[in-house]
Amino acid sequence: MDAKLLNPFIQAAVEVLKAEVDANVSRGEISMQKSSLTSDDITVLINLIGDVYGVVMYGMHKNTCLNLVSKIMGQDFIELNSLAQSGMAELGNVISGRATIRFSETGYKSNISTPTVLTGNGVEISTLDFPRIVVPLDTQFGILTVHLALRTKTPGETYNPEEFIPLINVPPSQNVF
Amino acid sequence: MNVKFLNPFVSSAHDILSLEMHETVQRGDLRLDNGSYQTDDVTVIISLVGAVAGTVFYSMSKEVAVGLASVLMGEKFDSLDRLAQSGVAELGNVITGQASMKLAEAGFESNISTPSLIIGKGAAISTLEFPRLIVPLNTSIGSMTIHLALHEGLQPNLKTPQLEIPKVDIS
Repeated sequence: MDAKLLNPFIQAAVEVLKAEVDANVSRGEISMQKSSLTSDDITVLINLIGDVYGVVMYGMHKNTCLNLVSKIMGQDFIELNSLAQSGMAELGNVISGRATIRFSETGYKSNISTPTVLTGNGVEISTLDFPRIVVPLDTQFGILTVHLALRTKTPGETYNPEEFIPLINVPPSQNVF
Repeated sequence: MNVKFLNPFVSSAHDILSLEMHETVQRGDLRLDNGSYQTDDVTVIISLVGAVAGTVFYSMSKEVAVGLASVLMGEKFDSLDRLAQSGVAELGNVITGQASMKLAEAGFESNISTPSLIIGKGAAISTLEFPRLIVPLNTSIGSMTIHLALHEGLQPNLKTPQLEIPKVDIS
């Protein structure tokens, strides 16, 4: 994975956390991981599709999530109900959206998917052959860890449907590609 | 969730599984779920962006995942190693890819994301306000379940060139 994809996300995360919850963010040590990610209490998963493609995950402890959501929504959350999950998903959405705007400024256009929220720690999330860059962001609310498993295509390169079928052969009559 | 998005997925999954397994795969009972999804052993997650937007899960037990990977790759797997994981993810990719082509023919053009794999039972995955349509597909080695949390997206003309809007100087 290209390190130039990293900065837009970190900048976006710092800006959004500053604006939404007035957080003082300090960046932890960046690491590159090839193994699958063992999920934290809450993981917000957002896919990118386009010139920059792959998956971004925001992992955090339950308390961090509750602190952040309580601050954003202006009411105290004591359990991780659907409203709290929705708030956290929205935070991931805003950070990813802002990062993709920065990508598009450099010519890489991509879209983000709707967020998916995974709760429950200890399951493994595999990004297959995409290595992940892991950046912990330390705030006064707790640590938010950003996992990036992204790749780039040449900007404007047309979409190549052949990417779909390396393993499974669909017979010609059903071959809709 | 719009039910018209269901058939392309079910028919693609049915065609591909039937073809690979050399048997007729049976569709189980359809249901709608508003709550979050408790993960099975193996879950493939793929997102769609475009005129159809949302997330698709393919969930299965470990035995079914290993069995499907063995059938697809033509070699016997004993455990869900990296290659087997890649095979299961690829199955999700192919089904979703073919379904998105069918959706595009029906006028709903969308792009699909790379697959992510979740391994481990008992976590909860929430698609937030989107309810999920759930369809089990039964094969001779066990069942694979498709979960669709899709809705009509906001970008109906994804691949049309984006025209620059000229800046108007209001002064």
